[in-house]
Amino acid sequence: MLRAGSVLQRVLSPELTDHALSFRAWISLVMAFTLAACVSSPQTESLHHAIPAPLSSPVNLSDVAFFPQADYQCGPAALATVLNYSAVAVTPDELVPQVYIPARRGSLQIEMLAATRRYGQIAYVLSGSLSEMLQEVGNGKPVLVMQNLGLSRWPQWHYAVVVGYDLTRSEIRLRSGTIRDYVMPLALFEKTWARADHWAVVALTPGELPVHADEIAYFQRVADFEQSQSGEPAIRSWRAGLQRWPVSRLMSMGLSNQLYAQGNMPEAAQVLQQLLLADAGFASAHNNLAWISLELGDSVAALHHAQRAVELDADDDNFRSTLQAVQSKISSGK
Amino acid sequence: MKSLLFKTGSVWMMAVAMITGAVLQPSAYAAPAGMVSTQQLVQESRVDQQRAYVNDFLSRSDVQAQLEARGVDVADAQLRIAGLTGAELATLSSQIDVLPAGEGVLETVLFILVIFMLLDIAGVTDIFPGL
Repeated sequence: MLRAGSVLQRVLSPELTDHALSFRAWISLVMAFTLAACVSSPQTESLHHAIPAPLSSPVNLSDVAFFPQADYQCGPAALATVLNYSAVAVTPDELVPQVYIPARRGSLQIEMLAATRRYGQIAYVLSGSLSEMLQEVGNGKPVLVMQNLGLSRWPQWHYAVVVGYDLTRSEIRLRSGTIRDYVMPLALFEKTWARADHWAVVALTPGELPVHADEIAYFQRVADFEQSQSGEPAIRSWRAGLQRWPVSRLMSMGLSNQLYAQGNMPEAAQVLQQLLLADAGFASAHNNLAWISLELGDSVAALHHAQRAVELDADDDNFRSTLQAVQSKISSGK
Repeated sequence: MKSLLFKTGSVWMMAVAMITGAVLQPSAYAAPAGMVSTQQLVQESRVDQQRAYVNDFLSRSDVQAQLEARGVDVADAQLRIAGLTGAELATLSSQIDVLPAGEGVLETVLFILVIFMLLDIAGVTDIFPGL
């Protein structure tokens, strides 16, 4: 694309405009565009060469509702589409005040994520892989995508929802704008999607995981989620994460901390004990287990874990102050 | 009769409000300061991600060529990245983020990297203990 642009500029630069465009210039212009067409949909190309087994048969999530957009309000319409599919009854009109900025005639990505959380769903941003994104659709999840329908320099931002694909025909199916079933060539979609930085989001009901979840990304999204949706939904999300990554430090700490916040000390302790069986050198888990053990009235365990944390990382101020606090509580208790 | 209904109604409403209030009470237990919180781990994981991002950037062949042209050893630079704080990594990676927008930005990122190193040598900062 860049190459095509620079050739175009050269071709149309003032020095050349008084002459007729030379044959060579035309040829190079055409070649540049051909080149751009070849290289600007690399993911479609590689899918075309070898269709991954999970994507071999066509998919059409025909029961995904359609909310035709009003004016420039593709953001609220697309968000309502994915939320309703997750059994959240909400209309685009209700979402307008939450995600639409009239002066910019559009919606910010970050507000789309925040609104998703507000309706009790975890907004998980996918990796940017076309294959992984389509596999979410194949797994029954409509995917909210951002596109730039214009050029990088003159952007025209747009939100749509991917609801199907047919790779043998190299097509993708969207709920887009005012068209219920917008079927477009996959290569063209990829170009418009790449210009929006391959932004794609699934709304996860607590307990659900994407097909290709990244441990750190999932951890961060659930941590965002639990700030406004603590309690049972957060606990369910952490448990699902721990099921996918059974010895994950991040999932164990997230779950244990949320259980602690809910006052469920026995289970908060159990989660960390389980982790330490497989990962005995994780100082932060020892540190937290010391505090939980204090809550449970087990001062022997509290002292043991506080000491272990300091042994593992003597430079950590947090761990040292934990040990001091545990020691002073034990001595004042006796 | 009407007022009685109204009264019972409002009593019920108050009871419902109190019960839901109790159920929806967010965090029953505030964690002591000494516990490692989930938000703290989020911060750490972001720093790790940014470090990986900057290291990926440094392993690009065009970037390595630019660094070598400035007499900076790539292996050294990668080692130094390990010493950057979260805030400095954020600065660097945000510069890399906007890189596709213009080729001049590559210069900016390298410039920032070199500034960090110079400040270190001058004793203003202590990002690269090896220098």
